[in-house]
Amino acid sequence: MPLTVSVAHYSAAGPRARNEDFTGCVTPHGIDLVSKGFAAVIADGVSGAGGGREAAEHCARNVLADYYSTPETWEVSQSLDKIYGALNRWVQTQARATRDLAGMATTLTTLVLRGSMYHFAHVGDTRILLLRGGQMQCLTSDHVWQRPEMEHVLTRAVGLDSSVTVDHGFGPARTGDVFALVSDGVWAALATTDIERELNRVADARDTVEHIARSIVELAHQLGSKDNATALIVVVNDIDENALRDVLHSKRELPALPALDIGQRFDGFSVEELLHQSRVTVLYRVQDLHGRPLVLKALSRTAHADAHERLAFAHECWLNKRVVARFFAQNVDVPEDASASYTLTTFHSGKSLGQKLAAGEYFNIPETVKYASELARAVGALHRRSIIHRDIKPENIHAGDDGQLRLLDLGVAISGFEVAELSRATRAGTPSYLAPELFENAEPGPRSDIYAVAVTLYHLLTRKFPYGEIEPFQSPKFGEVIPVSRWRPDCPGWFERIILRGLSIDAEQRFETAEELLIAIEQGPLSAASPTLARARQPLATRNRLRTWQIVAALSILTNLFLLFMLNR
Amino acid sequence: MAATGFWQAGHRPTLLAAFLYFDLAFMVWVILGPLGVQIANDLKLDPAQKGMMVAVPVLSGALLRIVVGVLVDHLKPKLTGAIAQIMVLASLAFAWINGVHSYTEVLILGVFLGVAGASFAVALPLASRWYPPEHQGTALGIAGAGNSGTAFAALIAPSLAAAFGWLNVFGIALIPLSLVLVFYWIVAKDAPDCPPPKPLTAYLTVLRDRDAWWFMFFYSVTFGGFVGLAASLTIYFNVEYGLDAKTAGFFTAACVFAGSLMRPIGGNVADRIGGIKSLSVMYVVALCALIAVSFHFESAWMALALFVVAMLALGMGNGAVFQLVPQRFRREIGVMTGLVGMAGGIGGFYLASSLGYFKKMTGSYQIGFLIFAGLAVFALVGLTVVKQRWRTTWGSAAMTAAKI
Repeated sequence: MPLTVSVAHYSAAGPRARNEDFTGCVTPHGIDLVSKGFAAVIADGVSGAGGGREAAEHCARNVLADYYSTPETWEVSQSLDKIYGALNRWVQTQARATRDLAGMATTLTTLVLRGSMYHFAHVGDTRILLLRGGQMQCLTSDHVWQRPEMEHVLTRAVGLDSSVTVDHGFGPARTGDVFALVSDGVWAALATTDIERELNRVADARDTVEHIARSIVELAHQLGSKDNATALIVVVNDIDENALRDVLHSKRELPALPALDIGQRFDGFSVEELLHQSRVTVLYRVQDLHGRPLVLKALSRTAHADAHERLAFAHECWLNKRVVARFFAQNVDVPEDASASYTLTTFHSGKSLGQKLAAGEYFNIPETVKYASELARAVGALHRRSIIHRDIKPENIHAGDDGQLRLLDLGVAISGFEVAELSRATRAGTPSYLAPELFENAEPGPRSDIYAVAVTLYHLLTRKFPYGEIEPFQSPKFGEVIPVSRWRPDCPGWFERIILRGLSIDAEQRFETAEELLIAIEQGPLSAASPTLARARQPLATRNRLRTWQIVAALSILTNLFLLFMLNR
Repeated sequence: MAATGFWQAGHRPTLLAAFLYFDLAFMVWVILGPLGVQIANDLKLDPAQKGMMVAVPVLSGALLRIVVGVLVDHLKPKLTGAIAQIMVLASLAFAWINGVHSYTEVLILGVFLGVAGASFAVALPLASRWYPPEHQGTALGIAGAGNSGTAFAALIAPSLAAAFGWLNVFGIALIPLSLVLVFYWIVAKDAPDCPPPKPLTAYLTVLRDRDAWWFMFFYSVTFGGFVGLAASLTIYFNVEYGLDAKTAGFFTAACVFAGSLMRPIGGNVADRIGGIKSLSVMYVVALCALIAVSFHFESAWMALALFVVAMLALGMGNGAVFQLVPQRFRREIGVMTGLVGMAGGIGGFYLASSLGYFKKMTGSYQIGFLIFAGLAVFALVGLTVVKQRWRTTWGSAAMTAAKI
């Protein structure tokens, strides 16, 4: 079931000459409704010399427009925070540039309903009220001075200061919930019980949404409100339990890909080569009618029988379509009449770094540094879209013949989107490249990807793993890293320090973002971001004296027992 | 919800009953081994027949484990356990009263003793289903400590047989068995929530996975080696070194103790350094010890030392296999434990019977040991294959937990 709502609003200037309130909402269809949801906004402009309306209208319109333009992989709060920040800068710039608009600012309260959750972002003294089960509560807190005579002076608003701190909140939405976005002209004049009574009339379907929106505003003015009054009322008729799953659903209907022969024609493609086959996936190189080489990826027969794997595969396709950048093989749309479940991406000739390693290729330092900076850019491009790759390793890094480095395989990647059953397994990935905190069931994040980048670089240079090879189902102990220079004396100190910092067991010690890593790599020997070289490995006798003596004592007991035994024979 | 301590969680009486039940059942299961010397003397068995005599309960235990597993699904663990135990009691009583007069009769008794070996499939679910996932390992460890029954049998049975005659040992065994059965029936309780029965097709589905076959093979080497040696060593020490039945029993008990104590340690080691790595080391150690022992040393002590080393390695290997199986086969765990356990028993049957067979054919145990060592080499090859295949991405679907 898709999300459905009924909405109505009413706004009146009241005794004032101008209405500086602005409200609006967007009810999208199809994929946008699922990935972005329904958005409603209310803004109450503050006039300096008459720019209040300008600020309110501009901000409200732009929240609604820009929200649907943010990457789909972003979380709602992340999207709204970015937009609020941008709007704040715009209002500031305008107010500074134009005399008429000086001192303008606006409150801005946004409600987003997506899937089975509501989210809001809030600045100022406009309110979001939620009526559930006959009880009304206010979700937002007012950013006003808590002093007599100053209850209507804002402490926070968009355009008030050079930066704005936004309140975020979220919670589960239920069928029958009534949300009301109201300006201070409404809530200051009406008693809470009055609003609650009016909203209950909507909830019980005793009155229409349109009528109640209007009656609340009119009642406020009758009761002596001197301000503009605006109300926008949203009734949740139906919520969407499995937002993304439903969109992905169509993907899962198609049958499994049959085994393809080389040279065979399939759905109009000619099959050229079997690229890869694993427990879960199978990859073919195919050519379309125009002779364009493509990669066809599908689940193996056994994996296709597993509902979980199909969901994961559909999620991967969904992500793949959303990473449009030079660092990724680009998604190509599957023909409408596809006869099996598969995806297509562009094919690039070249080799993965894993293949190069297997072929015994030697990675010299300048080359590795170049890979490192490209890799940092690629990972940064993913992280900016709020996607965590979770499986960065030489096998998934493709060095194209065109000189472009590409990150492959978003099979276990996660995004800000809530598909709980996919993100719950923290140990998904390749064990030797998993960050230490993931073994303690920490949430994967940008820093765990940075760890994997560092392991990759370490492995390229030394063909070893910094903490030894880790097997699946092992709970490894992370000791001390053996420095790269032990095997590669030609590795410059600064590069080694960058790798070692990326390999820190404590996630906090690693680079915070891929961009920070990139800057460190680009600054090279001048980089100040890397700490001094970790201490050299110390012998047991200095590291743990107690343990040393315990071992000595145990050995001595064993020797004595042996001697005793020999004596008594 | 705050995590409760182990002793607060679950049902303590059931855990105790499961442990006692399991311990005694295992004692009876392998009882023909320690008594083997005396039985063989009275019935005039040749080496191959001796081998077969100790091997049959191991095999029937392995196969019945699957049957009992299915019964547990349908009848609940408690009732299944009681039925199995009554069958064992009846067959022991019958043997005690009527006597055992021929090789065939010993084998038939062996088949019934196998029912006791299948108690594994009762005791573990009976105890572990009471516990939340975080405590299941401990619960399984405590109930599984019933493995020590095999050592008790080796320790006590030969002395009792020397004092009262081997036939009467069956009668004496009836006493603790009946007591524990009564205690078990009064105290043990089925856990309130039982997983739904596994369809038989589930067994076939899991066998489509190549890893399943490898794990069955790994366990048939580690557990097979452990149980096969436990069953054969008394006879071996008697034949090869001329030790009397009692001393041979003590020697066997030492080896079995070493092996069963190492099991949990093996699991921990596998968790820390990796199951494949630790299994490889243990196979190599067991392999070397078995090859060395096959060259018949002068001193029985030397042989004992080598067997202890082999049993330590095999015991740890058992733990290591069972550290990997539940994680690799999260969703098929119930089915997989049954299959892997069965494979282990078959391995034990093979080792025990082949030792006797080769002794008869060639006059020495050497070839029997060397072939088994060869199996360990093959297991090492299998480990490298699995290791190669496992160097891939582990997806979230493979990692989702399921209830046992």
